[in-house]
Amino acid sequence: MDEFKQDFLKWQEQIKEQIKKRPERKEEFQTSSSIPIERTYFPDKIDNAYIDSLGFPGEYPYTRGIRGTMYRGKYWTMRQYAGFGSAQETNERFRYLLDQGQTGLSVAFDLPTQIGYDSDDPMALGEVGKVGVAIDSLEDMEILFDQISLNQVSTSMTINAPAAVLLAMYIAVAEKQGVAKEDIRGTIQNDILKEYIARGTYIYPPKPSMRLITDIFAYCSDHVPSFNTISISGYHIREAGSTAVQELAFTMSNAVAYVEAALAAGLDIDSFAPRLAFFFNGHNEFFEEIAKFRAARRMWANIMKERFDAKNPKSWQLRFHTQVAGSTLTAQQPENNVVRVALQALAAVLGGTQSLHTNAKDEALSLPTEDSARIALRTQQIIAHETGVSDTVDPLGGSYYIETLTDQLEEEALKYMNQIDEMGGAVSAVEKQYMQREIHRAAYDAQKRLENKDDIVVGVNKFQVGEEQQPDLLKVDEAFVESQIERLQQIREHRDNEKVDYILTQLKTAAKGTDNLMYLIIEAVKQYATVGEICHALRDVYGEY
Amino acid sequence: MDKIRVLIAKPGLDGHDRGALVISQALRDAGMEVIYTGLRQSPKQIVRAAIQEDVDVIGLSSLSGAHNVLFPAVLNELNEKGAGDILVFGGGVIPLVDIKELESKGILKIFTPGTPTKVVSSYIKQAVAEHRGEKMNLLHPPKKVDHIGIAVESIEKTAAFYANHFHINVEKIAEVPDQGVRVAFLPLGNCKIELLEAIDESSSIHSFIKKRGEGLHHLAFEVDNVQQRLDQLKTEGIRLIDEQPKQGANGNPIAFLHPKSTHGTLLELCEELDHTNNDKGGQ
Repeated sequence: MDEFKQDFLKWQEQIKEQIKKRPERKEEFQTSSSIPIERTYFPDKIDNAYIDSLGFPGEYPYTRGIRGTMYRGKYWTMRQYAGFGSAQETNERFRYLLDQGQTGLSVAFDLPTQIGYDSDDPMALGEVGKVGVAIDSLEDMEILFDQISLNQVSTSMTINAPAAVLLAMYIAVAEKQGVAKEDIRGTIQNDILKEYIARGTYIYPPKPSMRLITDIFAYCSDHVPSFNTISISGYHIREAGSTAVQELAFTMSNAVAYVEAALAAGLDIDSFAPRLAFFFNGHNEFFEEIAKFRAARRMWANIMKERFDAKNPKSWQLRFHTQVAGSTLTAQQPENNVVRVALQALAAVLGGTQSLHTNAKDEALSLPTEDSARIALRTQQIIAHETGVSDTVDPLGGSYYIETLTDQLEEEALKYMNQIDEMGGAVSAVEKQYMQREIHRAAYDAQKRLENKDDIVVGVNKFQVGEEQQPDLLKVDEAFVESQIERLQQIREHRDNEKVDYILTQLKTAAKGTDNLMYLIIEAVKQYATVGEICHALRDVYGEY
Repeated sequence: MDKIRVLIAKPGLDGHDRGALVISQALRDAGMEVIYTGLRQSPKQIVRAAIQEDVDVIGLSSLSGAHNVLFPAVLNELNEKGAGDILVFGGGVIPLVDIKELESKGILKIFTPGTPTKVVSSYIKQAVAEHRGEKMNLLHPPKKVDHIGIAVESIEKTAAFYANHFHINVEKIAEVPDQGVRVAFLPLGNCKIELLEAIDESSSIHSFIKKRGEGLHHLAFEVDNVQQRLDQLKTEGIRLIDEQPKQGANGNPIAFLHPKSTHGTLLELCEELDHTNNDKGGQ
């Protein structure tokens, strides 16, 4: 301890100062037996190896967490992804969830919105309002956030190819509410690389897509400083069937590609890196998941400090959202999913997540009902308030198993990353279908293990019961599609169409050049140009992938 | 028979193709030619590809909830293009009520998450074979319950009970020495009661009665072809007691399935070789 005694004392002092400013949840934490719970537990001897690989919580390399007090200070943000049907229905669900104690919003958009088609586009047939809310114009966005003050909530939006358009709409709604864009908080997913790899809602080819992303980085670092400009996502890579190591490696390689694109566009690393966020999957294998989150933090800190020479500690900190694994939910005996979700969520909390979505038990059958959505939220509230796991920082740090797994996951992921670097980076690996093939192989292996009963899924290949009654499912009212389309057509009639055409023409010209497109896109949405119209303008210039 | 050609397609906009890719690979491993369309295919594009590739079967995968609109649209387009003979099945996150609706509209079968890939490939093989007229019908339920087997200490004592109180008389008594049993058949409607009595202590009926006492022993379904049913069940991962048909009490082929695989009931499959008296009774 001697060598690092000074560092340790200094760190302790810093934490004390922080707590004076922002107190922890309780003055003292203790167990049911009145045993005091310390903020963090350390090995008897703090040596070089400890400092290099783990460090103090809230300090480089952040293996033990990005905050010194973690959940003793504040619980993670409980953020349930929701959205279906019309903006009005989703607005009602949002307000219900906020009433129930949810602390952040997360918007699910329908597929036409995510791929840049208006609700009346022939390509949208059958899909309007199905997996999320349908947003065509600013008017829909105004309805979506009706009676929700945008300076009171943080909003995460699962939107990628048209991320610039939806962010522009969010900014415009805030302005109408009298909230300055400097004060809005939230996240846009904006991670196009994993769309090519695993999720499928891309529009344009990779190069222009990367340019749209760096335009957003630049715009937000100047004007919307509290918005996470991207959520670099391993979630969907894992859902597509990857292993934990692949999830980690491919996400990090994608992150490196975004950083390199932004640097190539002339941005300063510390101007945008603090707003990069991550999104991981909370899967079944309990300890491996915890190790994955810890390894991710250490890898990112290393990459930012050593590879990109970032100076601001905020650039080194990997902040992440977790959603538990939808693909592990079973249609058979759906009640069992509540238990799966609880265990997966617990791993995410023990791994130090900043925000969490817990799935509803019926999601293998359809979108969640209000009841099942409530149980999902309650699951994480129980972990937070009843189990005591939040009362000390990184409770599993120092476990032989966890630390070994953390090291090994990092090591294996680095091997993959080196391979991707050798292929010329993530963009070129994606174009060569490298990650796609690796994931597919892992997915097929998993399916075979399941069918050979090497892997057991309770209720699916063991402990089955006879065909069950299907529980009540959420039905999206199809009638709204007609009124959505009618409203859209009225907007097109009543807006200033000359102005809309003019801005869209300007946008096309700018898309061929190098000017930041965000300014024109904001102008366009304020004139009620639709998601489809703006995306089609860019399709005309960039083509489709 | 010619290799089965399958088009796996993703109609609509959803990008989740893990299931489509896994099924494609599994069907290839099962010996079929599989073409995967990739994402975001309209019904028109799917049907065009199916006709160009001259496939026997189209498999549609959807996880976004658009199946009620898009799957029937594919069927309509097939009929319009005169390709209504291509079989269509589907898979994805599809609620039970929608499955019934879609199957009634002409989708051959919907497979939901958790279905073993072997069940899917076996089903497709059977469906195509039947469609090509190469095999008998295995996709339909067995014809009827042929008989209900009851394990008894003594055929004579039990037969007396049925005769005295229900006026059901024994039609025939036979011995099946290699199974160590003596059996009696009592006709009832278009079904029979089969009484089984152990010949010696090595008989399975002897150990059954020792363990559980007299009572219901098995259920027998009449099928067209025991061998083909066994082949199908085996590829679907069902545990068989008899992998090959054996001779039953009246010389017809029979086989037993393991109760571990059938949720607790010992099931027998039997085939009526002499079809002359097949259609008596029933509808």
